[in-house]
Amino acid sequence: MSATTAAGAAARARRPVPPEIRRRRLLLSVANHSVAIALSIAFLLPFLFILATSLMTNQQALSPNIWPHPFVWSNYKTVFESFPFVRYTLNTVTYAGLATVGVLLSCVPVAYALSRLQWRGRQAAFILVLSTLMLPPQVTIVPLYVIFVRLGWIGSLKPLIIPLFFGDAFTIFLLRQFFMTIPQELSDAARVDGASELQILLRVIVPLAKPALAAVALFQFLYSWNDFFSPLLYAGNNPDSWTLAVALQQFTTLSRGVLWNLQMAASLLFMLPVIVIFFFAQKVFVEGVTLTGVKG
Amino acid sequence: MATTAERPAAALEQASTAARRRRRRRAARHRQLVALAFMSPWIIGFCAFYVYPMISSLYFSFTKYDILSQPKWVGLANYRFMFTSDPLFWVAIRNTLWIIAIMVPLQVLFGIVTATVLTRIKRGLPFYRTVFFLPTMVPLVAAALGFIYILNPAGPVNRVLGVLHLPEPLWFVDPRWTKPGLTLIGLWGIGQVMIIFLASLLDVPRQLYEAAELEGARPWQQFRYVTLPMISPVIFFSVLIGMIQGFQYFTQAFVVSKAGDRTNEVGYPQDSLLFYTSRLYQQGFEGFHMGYAAAMSWVMFVVIMACTVVLIRSSRRWVHYQGGFR
Amino acid sequence: MRRRLIGLLALALLAAACTAGGGGSDKPAATVDPNANHAPLTLTVWSDFSARELGVVTAGLKMATQKYPWMTIKHVGSKNDQDIQRAVNGGTPPDVAISFTPDNAARYCDTGAWQDLNPYLQSSKVDKAKVWPEGVFSYTSFEGKQCALPMLTDAYGLYYNTDLLKKHGISAPPKTTAELADMAKKLTEYNPDGSIKVAGFMPLVGFYGSTTANTLSHAYGAKWYDENLKPTLTSDPNWTKMFTWQKAMVDAVGYDKLQRFAAKLGGANSEFSAQNGFETGKIAMMMDGEWRNAFIEGDKSKVNYATAPFPVDPDQPGLYGSGQIGGTIGGVPKGVKHPAESWLLLQFMTTDNTYLTTIAHGLKNVPSTFESLKDQQLQNDPRFKPFLDVFANQQSTFKPITPIGQTDTDLMNTFTQKWQAGKVPDLQAGLKQVEDQIAKQLQLG
Repeated sequence: MSATTAAGAAARARRPVPPEIRRRRLLLSVANHSVAIALSIAFLLPFLFILATSLMTNQQALSPNIWPHPFVWSNYKTVFESFPFVRYTLNTVTYAGLATVGVLLSCVPVAYALSRLQWRGRQAAFILVLSTLMLPPQVTIVPLYVIFVRLGWIGSLKPLIIPLFFGDAFTIFLLRQFFMTIPQELSDAARVDGASELQILLRVIVPLAKPALAAVALFQFLYSWNDFFSPLLYAGNNPDSWTLAVALQQFTTLSRGVLWNLQMAASLLFMLPVIVIFFFAQKVFVEGVTLTGVKG
Repeated sequence: MATTAERPAAALEQASTAARRRRRRRAARHRQLVALAFMSPWIIGFCAFYVYPMISSLYFSFTKYDILSQPKWVGLANYRFMFTSDPLFWVAIRNTLWIIAIMVPLQVLFGIVTATVLTRIKRGLPFYRTVFFLPTMVPLVAAALGFIYILNPAGPVNRVLGVLHLPEPLWFVDPRWTKPGLTLIGLWGIGQVMIIFLASLLDVPRQLYEAAELEGARPWQQFRYVTLPMISPVIFFSVLIGMIQGFQYFTQAFVVSKAGDRTNEVGYPQDSLLFYTSRLYQQGFEGFHMGYAAAMSWVMFVVIMACTVVLIRSSRRWVHYQGGFR
Repeated sequence: MRRRLIGLLALALLAAACTAGGGGSDKPAATVDPNANHAPLTLTVWSDFSARELGVVTAGLKMATQKYPWMTIKHVGSKNDQDIQRAVNGGTPPDVAISFTPDNAARYCDTGAWQDLNPYLQSSKVDKAKVWPEGVFSYTSFEGKQCALPMLTDAYGLYYNTDLLKKHGISAPPKTTAELADMAKKLTEYNPDGSIKVAGFMPLVGFYGSTTANTLSHAYGAKWYDENLKPTLTSDPNWTKMFTWQKAMVDAVGYDKLQRFAAKLGGANSEFSAQNGFETGKIAMMMDGEWRNAFIEGDKSKVNYATAPFPVDPDQPGLYGSGQIGGTIGGVPKGVKHPAESWLLLQFMTTDNTYLTTIAHGLKNVPSTFESLKDQQLQNDPRFKPFLDVFANQQSTFKPITPIGQTDTDLMNTFTQKWQAGKVPDLQAGLKQVEDQIAKQLQLG
């Protein structure tokens, strides 16, 4: 709220509120809250259904019953026993973790060059970066697959991780937007002091950009955690390299006929780490998402 | 004309200007090199993972190629087949257009609606925001599987509908209801879009609303003439991203089609879920017509570019930027 | 500057052209002396078996290790044809590949994804005609290349619930499709709200995998292609007869009711679970493969049932006793690291009669070699014998295989789903469209 409206609100607060308007405001508030609550229920219900199904026996899962009877908590244990859940989690953490590191290492200098350095071709380069955002991955997928076959990387997570050490358009875009909001005076002052560009980047910009870096890191981690198509294509052949997303979909086919109760239990286990991270890092997420939309 | 006395002075001037110019040029070149050094990871990545594969795939699009053997040049045969002979190409186009014309607008609308609801909440906003945003954390595969179960013809949603004496569609088994079913998944994951709209809505200056109210504008008029123009950049952004993602829609459709029975065709039932990328996947990675898949991908690229340009051009007419320039 | 760009472009194109293309070379068919000593080696076998069936085959493969002690076998299940093809393309194929979809054999032969086994058969002195019945070659070879061999085979027939038949006064299974339609109507029971309680017969295509337009086509002797591989869906009148009969069966109960009944049973996923509609007594008569016997046993289902050949067109009584045959095939993919050893293992898996009869008992599949077909245990099983007879029947066939693999059955399935839902007003026009689609896809290759 800007200064004028704050003063206005304070002024309004001091005036006595007639009862009709108070009642109207209460009704409106109730109405708004009811809609919000209804929407909340709608958004939460699928989670509850999934949770409920994960605790049923397989027979019950196929039947119209909504409430588990009895509660089969051992389903979660069965998931760990039925397939190497730990290895898949490790693969997913490796992929997501290394991807995040790679993206930060490569995109920060690039975003810096695009936002705080003057050089010939900067505008063209930025347009090229943006254009890769619009390029559908389907165009490059076949040749990339062939390249990775020749390199012998198919069946491992290398095709997923290594390209991210060479930049990622979305991250570059986000970081550039944020870097541009840092006042030039800070850089200029450091330049006058004789600092090299690298030193300015590391000592001035990066500390100030921590919220953006955190947002970007979280986005990349989340994206890699949930990624399905690329791990399926590049690592799908080798079950030792599966990530959780691929394993979950393949798990559908482990026995002829889906075991819905185990499927839902595995899905919940897959979602859990991300949801936990989200609860602890909510602010970063929301700020980061805002960064993409509003400032863009 | 300089005199003899001024000539050495002028020469000195010229020499120092030349030196300054040389220094400036060296400094500029130094700056250029530093910038390029900073850009180097991206430059390498761009050439290796974008330029080279793009040229490669353009080449493949003119060949018959199944990876096992050498590509065979066939000229425009792939493109000709695509537009005249591919039995399911136009089906895929129609399905993809459904997403862009129906699902994306619905998602944007729902994002605005939910964000608007949240702007009126004074207490407990963080709670609601968390709840609305939570579904976007769910991996697409898990979300699809969850909804397959929930929208099972004998599942919970239909039971509730039955209790309310409403018709119970067969959802992912009935081709008329499969895309609406996918839309439900899309709406469930509206949180990210909603957050952006929420920030934008809260950014609208209150004076505008007060001014409108003073002029006697009703709430919906305020919405139409104050809110909408103010959030139009975000609408533009959401529609643009939604459109680009809509062309690439794949994972949910793939998981839903195959979950009922692994041997189902991609696009089951009755090709209602055969989207453009699904068709590409079918031909490229199930039928192993790699050249044809490459051709399809280039057509898709051109179409996306064209639609993006059209959207951006049209945006000049209805998008209002507070700052004044893009 | 522009010239430099064009030069770079040309270079890139050239590089692309050079690095494209496949790997692997064709070596002469060297074989391994089965009796000689050999360094220890682990071979991977990929198949689509899962759960109980996976266990049966893995146990059977231990016999190979008994015969060749230096060989360790790693059997990986739930690998369908696309997984195998991707592995071949990726240069990391399994040493032996097993597929449930012989439709793809023609493409494997055509593209060389699976190696031609004729040189190996010659080197190992295996006389094809003496080992395998004529019928199996129709779905394992294409244009002279024998890129696959059968590992057991399948036959389709009718399963019927004897209790339910007796309950409604029916003593013998139907022999014609007209009788089937009649009996199905009698056997269908309804709930008070009008929904189906027990289905006499499940005519829906797209529910269980054994009931497809393809499997039903054998009841009418309908042919897919002529000798020139041109589709004959409109020129062969038997297709129209079959589809008309199928739709009548669906409409007799109601498409919507049948779909809801299918959903209540657990959808297509319940086919191989213990909730299978036939095994739980909810479906009275069903078309299925001979393996269902093993599943009924393995799921400990209490259904009292018998089997018989599937009913046929009343106008073609001579067809009775035949049906669809053809099943699991195996091959040596292109690019395997030890082709001679792969062939040795494949030879074992397709010709060793002790192995074949053992897994035939466990899977309840029809044996594929002349020798294993003589197995008494299977011959004397009254519920299994009808399938052996179907396999032996000269009119039993597999669908002709083409380089487009399963695309034709996929297109046909999509059409059938539309047809049974009542979305196709003109059957002939609809069939013509499918014909065109198949012909066009054949063009692409």
